[in-house]
Amino acid sequence: MSSTREQLIELLAKQGGSFVSGQWISETLEISRTAVWKQMKQLEKDGYQFEAVPNKGYRIVEVPHKLSANTIQWGLHTKWLGKEIVHHDRISSTQTTAIEYAQEGCDHGTVIVANRQSNGRGRLSRQWYSDNDQGIWLSVVLRPDISPMKAPQLTLVTATVLAEVIEQISQTTPAIKWPNDLLLNNRKLAGILTEMQAEQDKIHYLVIGIGINVNQSYQEMDLSVREIATSLQIETGKTFHQTTFIQLLLECLERRYQQYLDEGFHLIKASWEQYAYKMNKEVTYQTGKAKQKGFIRGIAEDGALLMETESGRIDSLYSAEIDWFSSDPGATVRKTLTSKQQEN
Amino acid sequence: MLKLEDIQALIQAIDQSSLDEFIYEHEGSKIKLRKKSNHHEHKKVMTSVSAEPEKYEEVSEREQIKEQENHSSSEKEETIAFDHEILSPMVGTFYHSSTPDSAPFVSLGDKVNEKTVVCIVEAMKLFNEIEADVEGEVVEILAENGELVEYGQPLFRVKTK
Repeated sequence: MSSTREQLIELLAKQGGSFVSGQWISETLEISRTAVWKQMKQLEKDGYQFEAVPNKGYRIVEVPHKLSANTIQWGLHTKWLGKEIVHHDRISSTQTTAIEYAQEGCDHGTVIVANRQSNGRGRLSRQWYSDNDQGIWLSVVLRPDISPMKAPQLTLVTATVLAEVIEQISQTTPAIKWPNDLLLNNRKLAGILTEMQAEQDKIHYLVIGIGINVNQSYQEMDLSVREIATSLQIETGKTFHQTTFIQLLLECLERRYQQYLDEGFHLIKASWEQYAYKMNKEVTYQTGKAKQKGFIRGIAEDGALLMETESGRIDSLYSAEIDWFSSDPGATVRKTLTSKQQEN
Repeated sequence: MLKLEDIQALIQAIDQSSLDEFIYEHEGSKIKLRKKSNHHEHKKVMTSVSAEPEKYEEVSEREQIKEQENHSSSEKEETIAFDHEILSPMVGTFYHSSTPDSAPFVSLGDKVNEKTVVCIVEAMKLFNEIEADVEGEVVEILAENGELVEYGQPLFRVKTK
């Protein structure tokens, strides 16, 4: 990322639609008029359009829809998240790349984003279908100064942020399946994968991978997940501008992350529970080898799932295989109409 | 972590004191000094040593003392085949490999170094890759794949020399 180009975008962006002279830009950025012109040519390749009028100067007339580090940063109101953005058209996995960057010592807040992933992955290296440019595929590197024991809360912070941003953008309310899957009408809309490297008392890095199915049509969804996954387009019939989506996501994540560090988990907990999937419903779950039934009763102050067992005791679950769907046959019935009607 | 000089100073201080026994525990290391009233002999037991460089001094100290014991004492002690334990940094599920189908990160007898990933502990879908943090040989694996582990629970034992 050229910092000159970053400054140039910022400079022009601040002027809104008004003209600035090439002379003024060259003086402010301390580069030659030729260099200014070269930078603009580069930006045009990213899809920016400038209007140049003699004696008046330049102005931005169009910001590209095309995803790039520049377009995401243009108008991104964050202090540290996404100050460094690495964008690829196609990459094996943003998560794998982000971990490599993290190990090489990249800054807190670095974002790796791709139009498509050839080998997107979920937990335990399960495949995440993302070899299309209709979704949002990105990973964020964080270096929080908190105890590794608390780090799992950040997966719930991220889930809450996703739910809030999806709701704001699409006017549909997703549900969060503990701890961090997002569902719409019982189908998976977005997933989060958090990987960390830490010592007993210090986090080296934490990489949060986010995948959101945005503009895929039903036919564009991979056959193997068509009946269990969904996209915002399928649910609402609308398409969404990915750059704006990512900007909102990063802004909200930075705000919520800061709030979590400053004030603790309780505000996140409250928001998370508003989106909780199967709240007060019965599910089957397995911890270690024991299989049992219980009712979801929300989350604890540390983010653990509160499960009321058959004997009436409340257990805190940190890690469990939960069978969310089979105990409720009605869950497999699709109710897309509901959300479509909301839109119309 | 105590240095050799500190231990020597301690021994001297206890020698001159009316104490019969002194136990010091810090971050997984334990030092026990016991005075026998009839003949002045010190015994020192270390159950585990963390990865700080000082350990070499302490290990050699331990060996010295063990030698003394062999000569002068018939009291049996627990055999120490390891000198580092890798602990779980959080409550969660222990995974010995990155996917259910792949080979474990490490097996018994494997040589590891500071950067070797030995397992994953997962809590609330956060996957924590645990590194060995020491150079040595895996001599014991204490958790089973898929098992729920507690904070601070020993997962592996490593012999560092």
